[in-house]
Amino acid sequence: MIELNNVALAYGGCRILEDVSFTVRAGEVLALVGPNGVGKSTLLRAIAGARPIDAGRITFEDRAIGTFAPRERSQNIALIEAEGPPPEGLLVDDVVAAGRLPHRPWWRWTSTDGDRHAVDGAIARTNLAPLRNRPFAELSSGERQRVWIAMAVAQRARAFLLDEPTSHLDIKHTFETLALARRLAHEDGGAVVVVLHDLNVAAAFADRIALLGERTLLACDTAATVFDEALLARVYGIPIAVRHEPGGRVLAFAVPPKRGRA
Amino acid sequence: MISPHRSYRSELVALAAALLVACAALVGAISVGAVAFPFGAVLGQVVHPDLSTQAGRILWEIRIPRVAIAALVGASLGLAGMLLQTMLRNPLVDPYLTGTSAGAACAIAIGIAAGVASAALPLLAFVAALATALIVAALARTGTGISHERLILAGISLSALFAGVVTLVILLSPRASTSLSILAWLGGSLAGRGWSDARVASIYAAIGVAIALALAPMLNGLRFGENRARALGVDVDRVQWGVVGAASLLTAAAVSVSGIVGFVGLIVPHVTRRFVGNDARLTLVTSMVLGAVLVVLADTVARSIDPPLELPLGVLLSMFGVPIFIYLSFRRRAA
Repeated sequence: MIELNNVALAYGGCRILEDVSFTVRAGEVLALVGPNGVGKSTLLRAIAGARPIDAGRITFEDRAIGTFAPRERSQNIALIEAEGPPPEGLLVDDVVAAGRLPHRPWWRWTSTDGDRHAVDGAIARTNLAPLRNRPFAELSSGERQRVWIAMAVAQRARAFLLDEPTSHLDIKHTFETLALARRLAHEDGGAVVVVLHDLNVAAAFADRIALLGERTLLACDTAATVFDEALLARVYGIPIAVRHEPGGRVLAFAVPPKRGRA
Repeated sequence: MISPHRSYRSELVALAAALLVACAALVGAISVGAVAFPFGAVLGQVVHPDLSTQAGRILWEIRIPRVAIAALVGASLGLAGMLLQTMLRNPLVDPYLTGTSAGAACAIAIGIAAGVASAALPLLAFVAALATALIVAALARTGTGISHERLILAGISLSALFAGVVTLVILLSPRASTSLSILAWLGGSLAGRGWSDARVASIYAAIGVAIALALAPMLNGLRFGENRARALGVDVDRVQWGVVGAASLLTAAAVSVSGIVGFVGLIVPHVTRRFVGNDARLTLVTSMVLGAVLVVLADTVARSIDPPLELPLGVLLSMFGVPIFIYLSFRRRAA
């Protein structure tokens, strides 16, 4: 569904990523991992068409992302960015309903039955019914993340790009959020790209992992292949141990230096 | 944007109430003046204009155009303030932010000192106001969009520059009458305004209103922040240029006929939000209605306290409006 060909990105005049090529298929979850500042969020924004690329080509269903009009793009691709300041004076329902904005021509001021169905469907899909009349600003981080995803579902997007959706969440809410992202891919046929920091969480929830480092894409495959001790140690600059468990599960640990005695 | 399940009953009731108040204010303002008319006579003349009578001539040639212009100025300033406050998400912004009033004041001061015919002054003010807004917008431009910080800084800087020029012209003008004319313009007034002024200003104001209303749904998207709005398909750059363009056009139209009438564009958005909340579809419409009410009432007071003398409209609004606003806004803390 999404295809990147030799994409290069510049930030503030200097190239931060070069020669990035991978595809994201409908029905799969792809995790973007890599050290801080490597350009994961910037790449995600570029895939969403929210920032220009320096070279190469990004296509959505064989059409260059730059040729989409803003509204048309948002009808197909939902970008869910890391938490900013919450909008004031809005209920959960209002925030979810914002997902209908790309489907509304400028001259239509009121909601249609289609809008109502989409919002109700998104609320049900994300189990937000008990919260829908609560003020958004009063929610916890985990609940807010669920609301942003519900907004993307109401958008009726087919590609979901999530930028560090779990950065403020505890383990349980991390699992719930990513389980929801998996359902969007595996059950609803969406293409999901999610930026993550925790390698084990990425291995547990993503079908494939794209590892960014050294200004390019170093690997894009299953966790069992991408998690190579030498490669990870080189990218992150610290010793990393990888365990292959029976049943195919892969775990990666940072190996802390031995504590010296004072 | 806003939940399709919301009913809006209380907001729409508030808007309907504001419209009723506006109608009452219009009729009241038309009937009050040096010659007072009973409501019945006003309504009769509105439905069946009869210019052969003296009452008909006073109403249709003096009173009604004057009230219409007051409503136009108030609606324009209220809407312009609402647009800029919504886009910049800053409740301290007023429509003169883009330098329109200072630019117009500067041109008017120089124009009066140079002896420009008073009939040409509204056009001069309009052109200068728009030109200043263009310079401010050009300075605030970054890439394809507008930077909020640069817009505010450029507006404040240019306003300070032009205010300095105005003071200089007043101080250096050899005749006291010149200085007084400039000061009268700065104080804001609708004295002597007629249909011809209303016609020109209403065309520009109508364009501003049309742009503003077309932007309403997208302004709601901006409540989620610029990045999220972009992700929702809002063309943020276009909204920004639309808001700055519409607000400048509305303010220039108002300034050209009324001089500088402060406070309206700052206060009306606050009162509006208190009545109907934050949904741009409601706030844009309501701010026009409330702005019109405020200026129509203030102008009626300005010309009725001691006729035929008139108080400067802008001065009156500041002297009476600000204390009321402070009372309304700050009494909550005591309670």
